[in-house]
Amino acid sequence: MAFEPSVRDRYRSILSEIESAGLLKNERIITVPQDAEITVAFPAGATPRRVINMCSNNYLGLSSHPDVLKAAHAALEQRGYGMSSVRFICGTQDIHTALEEKLAEFLGTEACILFSSCFDANGALFEALLDENDVMIADRLVHASLIDGMRLAKAQRDTYKHSDMGHLRSKLEQYRACPRKMIVTDGVFSMDGDMADLGGIVALAEEFGAMVCVDDSHATGFLGKTGRGSHEACGVMGKIDILTTTLGKALGGASGGCVAARKEIVALLRQRGRPYLFSNTLAPVIASTTLEVLRLLEGSTERRDRLEANTAFWRNGLRDAGFILPPGNTPIVPVMLYNAALAQKLSAALFDRGVYAVGFFFPVVPQGQARIRTQLSAGHTQAMLERALGAFTEAGRAAGVTGLTKEQIIAKFGT
Amino acid sequence: MEEKLIAFIREEFLTDPSQDITPDTKLLSSGLVDSFSLVSLQAFIEKEFGKRIPAPRITVQSFDTVRQMVRVIGQF
Repeated sequence: MAFEPSVRDRYRSILSEIESAGLLKNERIITVPQDAEITVAFPAGATPRRVINMCSNNYLGLSSHPDVLKAAHAALEQRGYGMSSVRFICGTQDIHTALEEKLAEFLGTEACILFSSCFDANGALFEALLDENDVMIADRLVHASLIDGMRLAKAQRDTYKHSDMGHLRSKLEQYRACPRKMIVTDGVFSMDGDMADLGGIVALAEEFGAMVCVDDSHATGFLGKTGRGSHEACGVMGKIDILTTTLGKALGGASGGCVAARKEIVALLRQRGRPYLFSNTLAPVIASTTLEVLRLLEGSTERRDRLEANTAFWRNGLRDAGFILPPGNTPIVPVMLYNAALAQKLSAALFDRGVYAVGFFFPVVPQGQARIRTQLSAGHTQAMLERALGAFTEAGRAAGVTGLTKEQIIAKFGT
Repeated sequence: MEEKLIAFIREEFLTDPSQDITPDTKLLSSGLVDSFSLVSLQAFIEKEFGKRIPAPRITVQSFDTVRQMVRVIGQF
């Protein structure tokens, strides 16, 4: 046995540090399919209870939609359960290439390549496309997977202040001589729910000859008039060189991701993308079912329209109830509380009132920016949202936080 | 070197640039500067002082204050 007691002690001590810093993540056990209302046992062993789910990425409510389940059952029968191979050995079925073509068409790009997750897609990208002469300039609030992907690359790295086009310009000027420059951003930022200024970014990219890379995981399927994503919402369809996104959120929520990009980039990733070359192909059932999901979305905008209406109702309701929301219009709606203990207390009070919404605080978000992040779904009914709003109002009043300004909350509770 | 680093940090990272920073202000452990943004500080140090600091040398323990940064930079 090589697991020495000193090694065990070391790991235990790290876990204790995490716990004493209040950062231990306890998973809540769900005993039903993912949906707008779910049954949760929390803490573990407690009697399961029905709660309105305000914290999933199930934006279009498709995770357990009957049409999606039907397509998945059919796919299992027709193409089997697993492929037991990477793509280039014996892991590519007709549905994998069909999905890549369909995603490229849906997202308005030249080509597309599938990955096991968007995390893998972002991990593959930079190392394969850029060398030590090149530079990646990223918004400071990009997702962890982009940060990790950039760490794997030899190219120079720099950051710009969140959504600050003046600062991005100054960085592009600084790296003007680099042969390949890549601006890296999320389409929608997952903690604040704000959208990148893709119009401004594309304009700067054109001026400086830079490529644009957007992770649109929190936008694909519902932002923009026909749900293509933040590039559609910002009027820059066809101008994003690299768009990465997930199948694990709005598009059914199982797993998988892709890079939709210029065709040479996609071709190069098929040869050089390490997570693509060395990890298993996307399960056939997901590939086939995502094709059905895209057909559903192309056939009707009803679900993204409902999500938009739900978002407007929720944002207005929370503001009217006296909560502070950062500006934005996406289905990610953070309720700002600034104080970590207050965020945890309010989250627990909401759970007691049948609403599942999680508190986020430093180091997940900046110090003094604690919040409860809520996320809307097309699966939420008006009745659910009214109940959830009632719970928020009641819990907020009980905590003495509604109707206060940021300064008043900080003065009362600290940061 | 301290002044240049402080000026850069104030301009580049602080949401409130009037905030006071001393050579001993904790930057990383306090959350004033996030770990990802350190790549910009790394790029600045290389450009300004001609020193390339390897990523493993940039930790919360060793790079938390401007005074510590100056010490690490001096080792290269």
